[in-house]
Amino acid sequence: MRVMAQMAMVMNLDKCIGCHTCSVTCKQAWTNRSGVEYVWFNNVETRPGQGYPRRYQDQERWQGGWTLNRRGRLTLKAGGRLRKLLTIFANPVLPNIRDYYEPWTYDYEHLTSAPLGDDFPVARPKSLLTGQPTDISWSANWDDDLAGAPEHGHLDPIVQRLREQAQATVAFEYERSFMFFLPRICEHCLNPSCVASCPSGAMYKREEDGIVLVDQDRCRGWRMCVTGCPYKKVYFNHRTGKAEKCTFCYPRVEVGQPTVCSETCVGRLRYIGLVLYDADRVFQAASVRDPRELYQAQLEVLLDPADPRVVAAGRAGGIPEDWLEAARRSPIHALLKHYRVALPLHPEFRTLPMVWYVPPLSPVVDVLTNTGNDGEDAGNLFGAIDTLRIPLEYLAELFTAGDVEPVRAVLQRLAAMRSYMRDLTLGQPADESIPASVGMTGAQLQELYRLLALAKYEDRYVIPTAHEEQGRELEELACSLDYEGGPGMYASGPFGEASGRPMPVAVETFHALKQRQTADRPVDPGERGARVNLLNWDGKGEPPGLFPQRDGEDRR
Amino acid sequence: MLTLWRANLLGSSAKGNEYFLEHLLGAGSNLRASETPEDLRPGEVTWRGPAEGGGPRGKLDLLVSIDFRMTSSTLLSDIVLPAATWYEKHDLSSTDMHPFVHAFTPAIDPPWETRTDFDAFHAIARAFSRLAARHLGVREDLVATALQHDTPGETAQPGGTALDWRAGQAPPIPGRTMPALAVVERDYGAVADKLATLGPLAERLGLPAKGIVLHPDREVTDLAHRNGVMLGGAGDGRPALDTDAKLAEAILALSATTNGNLAVQGFRTLERRVGRPLAQLAEGSHERRITFADTQAGPVPVITSPEWSGSETGGRRYAPFTTNVEQLKPWHTLTGRMHFLLDHDWIRDLGETLPIYRPPLDMRRLFGEPALGADGGRQVTVRYLTPHSKWSIHSEYQDNLLMLSLSRGGPTVWMHPADAGAIGVADNQWVEAVNRNGILVARAIVSHRIPAGTVFVHHAQERTIDVPRSEANDRRGGIHNSLTRLLVKPTHLIGGYAQLSFAFNYLGPTGNQRDEVTVIRPRSQEVRY
Repeated sequence: MRVMAQMAMVMNLDKCIGCHTCSVTCKQAWTNRSGVEYVWFNNVETRPGQGYPRRYQDQERWQGGWTLNRRGRLTLKAGGRLRKLLTIFANPVLPNIRDYYEPWTYDYEHLTSAPLGDDFPVARPKSLLTGQPTDISWSANWDDDLAGAPEHGHLDPIVQRLREQAQATVAFEYERSFMFFLPRICEHCLNPSCVASCPSGAMYKREEDGIVLVDQDRCRGWRMCVTGCPYKKVYFNHRTGKAEKCTFCYPRVEVGQPTVCSETCVGRLRYIGLVLYDADRVFQAASVRDPRELYQAQLEVLLDPADPRVVAAGRAGGIPEDWLEAARRSPIHALLKHYRVALPLHPEFRTLPMVWYVPPLSPVVDVLTNTGNDGEDAGNLFGAIDTLRIPLEYLAELFTAGDVEPVRAVLQRLAAMRSYMRDLTLGQPADESIPASVGMTGAQLQELYRLLALAKYEDRYVIPTAHEEQGRELEELACSLDYEGGPGMYASGPFGEASGRPMPVAVETFHALKQRQTADRPVDPGERGARVNLLNWDGKGEPPGLFPQRDGEDRR
Repeated sequence: MLTLWRANLLGSSAKGNEYFLEHLLGAGSNLRASETPEDLRPGEVTWRGPAEGGGPRGKLDLLVSIDFRMTSSTLLSDIVLPAATWYEKHDLSSTDMHPFVHAFTPAIDPPWETRTDFDAFHAIARAFSRLAARHLGVREDLVATALQHDTPGETAQPGGTALDWRAGQAPPIPGRTMPALAVVERDYGAVADKLATLGPLAERLGLPAKGIVLHPDREVTDLAHRNGVMLGGAGDGRPALDTDAKLAEAILALSATTNGNLAVQGFRTLERRVGRPLAQLAEGSHERRITFADTQAGPVPVITSPEWSGSETGGRRYAPFTTNVEQLKPWHTLTGRMHFLLDHDWIRDLGETLPIYRPPLDMRRLFGEPALGADGGRQVTVRYLTPHSKWSIHSEYQDNLLMLSLSRGGPTVWMHPADAGAIGVADNQWVEAVNRNGILVARAIVSHRIPAGTVFVHHAQERTIDVPRSEANDRRGGIHNSLTRLLVKPTHLIGGYAQLSFAFNYLGPTGNQRDEVTVIRPRSQEVRY
């Protein structure tokens, strides 16, 4: 048992109002620059809908994530090393800009500079890629609030699946309309296929907290990671030519602050905390045959932080005491393993994602309430779970590889909580049969209510701070996925890196990264017309030509 | 002259936008309505003759805007003054959504030539006063005010009998059978001085608050010590309000929500008035004085006050009418209770003495709009609603690139598939919405979550972002309010009768535009700007 700690998140979809504050604040913090105009590390999709990029969930088309090959062995769906070598310059399953959207802006200046006339001046849209006037035909969130659903809704891969398998009829009709919002960030998976896909070994999963990052110095822009991620949460910066992704706001998390998306969430629906997991069992859990068993398999990889053996193994693995304590108080552990009301997103991709979701309740179909029955009465509500507006089958395709049972169980627990607390709020005696019917106690339902409904800041974010004294050791070991058969392991080969270890962060790489990130022009060695000449360099400062020029800067 | 500040009248709030453009500004408009025929015009309003093809045109002499972005209003303004934004000024903020009062404090100075609203108005006042002292001097003005809620004017029409003094049915008595009249002295040269000081009426007449009067004598004296007094000029010796921070200080001093002494005083007055114990709501807060510095340090919970009907006592959150329900303070109605029956003459004439269902107005009979539904040809007539957008706060942020990138990037009209199908329009295609009030050019959003027969054009979508010229008249398409106009309900004009009396921004005629209909037509997808 190799106990490791991972920073994980849960999103309570019962509370998401689709305000997109998380998307906007993340964009302003991380992707508000040229090269990543079209990139939203955090996006919020309306479901049913195609998502962003369009139809990313259709892995028959995009080949993301893992699959079991004919011998039952876990392999990348997009293929192994040979396939990657053959397609390294022209990857057929790479989404292009149209699948995301072509970013645009407006000629705002025209509003202030237009000459006097007899009609209103107007700011016309123009493409941020070409600079030319453009028509707007897709955006980062085109089908928000079911916009265009009669025409595009059938392209939602889940709707398509449900219709093909005749599990549930999803009709886009006024009387049966349903929707909910699905905010998404990088899953920071335990078994990340993006890391495994990188030919340069530029991606890594941090040892101390499991955050998955792209090393900007190592990245060579092959974009295999974009294909490899089944959630399409690694993006390509078309200015720098490198991959970028959600960083879980590690500079904030390291000092105990929640991610920007969580901090600014209006609905108070996000939870951040640690989970302890057994790194030795990740591969095995990802390899179970039946996709419907992946949820349970992943739950078993997550460990009980109160178990003395786990604590001892954690200590032995170098996990600090306050981290072990944080794992015990973790809201993630509570929601995933204790109350079991959170579910993983698309476990069938076999990446063992670590951002989980509490599925939303939805209104009881009117048929029940029209007959004069109280839709929220405990007896009626349980019977009504199967006829909620949002089809159970849709949620199951999203969270449990199509298995309706766990979704039903979660919704029953949430419904029980509502019913039980309603009595208490109205000053009526508590009905203990309600929690008993879902295998819980009244006290547990009240605790769950406190966590989900009251959702106090301190309860939602239990984030231990980074231990600087361990920093040096972390520089030496680079990646937590460098074990036998692990996704981070690349043997020497025509295209593999012998070391597979990204360069440790140091002063030189920090400045190089910073310069490259803030360059106004693409990094193009040919532009400077000369190679870097180290012979004439006196060792002080930076040799000319090593870094891209910044505007107005005098380079020696 | 019209000054727009913290507002976007011509891009957001003006219902009947094209009427404003035509009659108020005299700018070009897409107004298509003809004048009301003579036999339908109100008999008691003087109808000015046509200047140029119908009605007065361009009545306004000067339009001034103070804003920090280019809006439909600033584009039409004669003068645009650049405004500072939120974190560049001292200001106060509060709301009934939370129980706190807090400050805005400048993070930076207003950049370039922008000024805070406070500085802008004081600068204008000083320049105006210098000129006005010479050209206008001191004048007397006869001011008529409506019979207001919570004043003796409320009992002016006992039994709901509406007697018209102009028809000789009652003697004209100001404040009883006709609006209250007052002679006001206007010393135009002293405007700037008076703007910068707290005047003597605060002590002489007190501060009215929902039918009682607060006497802030002690507060005014304290304020004079805290803020200093003005020397010379019309405000000589009065507490100074010549900076935004001092004004904020004065507001906090004179409100019972931030001044416990006034709260207790007010509640004691109210107790004597209504015969119920109320002062316990402000118990423990008698000594509390929230200063501007307190609000700058952090949000401060407010004190329960007789100015409002909620209670924050003991950490409660505001809910209206709490004192009426829990402390049995009489409601501000005819009977002192909540009641449905309204017995005024006009209401009886309209058959609404008790609440009844009223269907939407028949716009075809009233205004000649087409009948609802598809006409079998190339247009469909639908109900027109303007709910609030999720991508803007009124018109603020509707031009923000992030908001536009997360939505459809321009003005849109949400339609049901049946209505879109009836005119052969697909999702994201340009359409034109036309009625007698104006013309709108937008892209259709076809969604099954819209009820058939209704369209949504969200408030507020200006005409500054991606609005092409219309096919109807080759002029720029309008805003969401280009298809609306106000329809005033006669019973909202009653006044002078208990809870039907006028109260500024609270009780009175509402801006009703929910019964509108519009015709939606497909158009060429080649748009010209």
